[in-house]
Amino acid sequence: MKDRKRDLANVGNSILFLGPTTVFFAITVLIPFAYGIYLTFFKMNSPTDPMVFSGLLNYLNALKDADFWSSLWLTLKFVIATVFFVNLVGFGLAYLVTSGIKIQNSMRTAYFTPNLIGGLVLGYIWQFVFVQSLPALGEKLGITWLKLGWLGDPHMAFWSLVLVTIWQTSGYMMIIFIAGLISIPKDLIEASTIDGAGPFRRLFNVTLPLMVPSFVVTIFLSLKNAFMVYDLNFSLTKGGPFNSTLMVSMHVVNKAFVEANYGTGQSEAIILFFIVAVVTGIQVYFSKKMEVEA
Amino acid sequence: MVNFKGLLKKSTLVGAAAALTLSLAACSGNSSNNTSNANSPVNIIITNGKGEIDAQFKQAAKDFMKANPKIHVEVDSIAVGDTLNIYDKLTASGKTPTIAMFDPYNTVNKYKDVGIDLSNEKWAQDTSYSVKDANGKVVGFPFAVEGMGLVYNQKVVNKAVGGNFDPFSINTQDKLKSLLDKIKASGVKYPVAYQTEAWSVGNHYSSLFLNQESDPNTILDQLKAGKLDLTKNAAWNGYYDTMDILASKSYNKYGDRPLGQYYDAAHVAVGKGDSAILFNGDWAFDSLKAVAGENFGFMPVPVDNNPNNPLNNKIAVGPTQVMVINKKATAAQQDAAKKFLNWLVYDKAGQDFVVNKAQIISAFKNNPNKVTNPLGVAISDAIAKDKTMPFSTNYINTADWSTIIGPEVQKYLGKQDTRAGLAKALEDYYKSHQD
Repeated sequence: MKDRKRDLANVGNSILFLGPTTVFFAITVLIPFAYGIYLTFFKMNSPTDPMVFSGLLNYLNALKDADFWSSLWLTLKFVIATVFFVNLVGFGLAYLVTSGIKIQNSMRTAYFTPNLIGGLVLGYIWQFVFVQSLPALGEKLGITWLKLGWLGDPHMAFWSLVLVTIWQTSGYMMIIFIAGLISIPKDLIEASTIDGAGPFRRLFNVTLPLMVPSFVVTIFLSLKNAFMVYDLNFSLTKGGPFNSTLMVSMHVVNKAFVEANYGTGQSEAIILFFIVAVVTGIQVYFSKKMEVEA
Repeated sequence: MVNFKGLLKKSTLVGAAAALTLSLAACSGNSSNNTSNANSPVNIIITNGKGEIDAQFKQAAKDFMKANPKIHVEVDSIAVGDTLNIYDKLTASGKTPTIAMFDPYNTVNKYKDVGIDLSNEKWAQDTSYSVKDANGKVVGFPFAVEGMGLVYNQKVVNKAVGGNFDPFSINTQDKLKSLLDKIKASGVKYPVAYQTEAWSVGNHYSSLFLNQESDPNTILDQLKAGKLDLTKNAAWNGYYDTMDILASKSYNKYGDRPLGQYYDAAHVAVGKGDSAILFNGDWAFDSLKAVAGENFGFMPVPVDNNPNNPLNNKIAVGPTQVMVINKKATAAQQDAAKKFLNWLVYDKAGQDFVVNKAQIISAFKNNPNKVTNPLGVAISDAIAKDKTMPFSTNYINTADWSTIIGPEVQKYLGKQDTRAGLAKALEDYYKSHQD
């Protein structure tokens, strides 16, 4: 009798604390997501058209869409480049601003600031840098590779995107790394120093293994951000020149809303979701295994 | 015990509140068709695809309502390029836009079943820019007329030619070249600032060749039937010969690397007079005027050296935003919508709104007002002198052209592809897109 009452109270507690979140999560994420999957089984060119059941036709079209796969391949390259460099630079900055130099607090703020600028604005700022500032500088100094606008060359445009992403997100990753670095017990570092380990040995054999939990988070975040990049892509290069920097999210949006292929676009979005879910899932699973106890 | 009970009560309350919010949310999705009786006003919804005139449009709606108290107008605006989406969004949420603003191509293609026949409206007699469906019935009210060509900075060109420049004197490629040389000689290092947005080099520039026939659809039909060899088509080649001149290293500010995000930079350059010429439409004035109080105009894009070729003597002008009255609206709403369209054409306040307030070139002969935008004035002049040809972009699928054809033209500009390759890409596109 008493147990039953307690169970009821637990249910009540759960509703009290989890209910509102669950409701809003369902309204904004779960229900649209499920409805989105449902929509992929129908053919419709505009919301005004009657929905015609078409089975897996949309998925077939998505699989046959060569541009989808080439943009996915490009996105994959972008993911590899940004995940590597964002974490490298982020960790480097964190190491720098925890090393005890004088102005480290203002440096922390400075490095974090770019992250506060939204992707769209950031894209336009950097567009100005790549189209106006760098060429003007190149003109003055006579440097050819600076003089020509970076955004007009497929390779340079790709690396412009990578560069801006690093500039924007490594400061955020830095904050996570700082938290990790600070929580490493001082006695461990001291012990290794007494045992005769030099700075590099300390970094690779003591600090880095203890930093794995931070890396799990930062790699997950940078992976997800890179796969889903849209705003920066849109404002900096618009996918150009000649679609050479068209990332997969932008392709999906173009397919669905510009070319008005709602069904195919939505199916491509679902396929993209599963690819990202699998990749990040694998990443989290394996890097969790690498974690060590201090 | 007591605490548990209290908690239970509280959580039920929260649950109930959540349930209430949900049911409220469900209700709000239900406010669609307004049934009207004799006393309550007729509600009409207008979608406005020109986001930049949102404030003026809403003011116009207020003025119209003052004159017609029985009608209530709601204006939903969205930025250029998203017109179709707001109609889609409203329709998907159960509303019925009474007047929808579409671009001309979609009016007679994707949305061909939306509109009612407007052939018998009085205004249809007062304009040559109405959009007609496949059966020749008027379905689209021309709200805005726009044009495109080579935009030039008057001051720079005047200085180069030494006197008052007549844009229609440039009617051959050779004359264009000599003008560019004169501008160079006058001290402007790069006379052209060629910007290469996909919609500009694709949808706009690359559709111009359709005007070699008086009905642009003639060429499109030949392309769809696979009967047109573009590499042997003089006009098509002519436009790319001219593009080669404009984007060449000796004339183009960005000649060393023609591709890039140069839209803003190019307009600043021509606006300031650092360069003199770019290819765009009358909307370019928004980006040009931000710089200086210079004067601007249009000249035709010449395609060969025959001064009598009509293509060399005309600029492309046509309706770019048309209004359609929704078939699904009630009879009362349709009547109110027709009243609004007539108000735009015949009422002084309506005429004032379109031209003076919104700075839109009116498609109607009876509108006495003139825009202040110099590029708009240039278009009005060209219309008056009968030096216009159809706005060829209205005949192509703009969405596909900006995502598929535009990048192909960029490849050609960036020397990643030959002209034959570009011709093949365009021919292949029309082989697989028959509708």
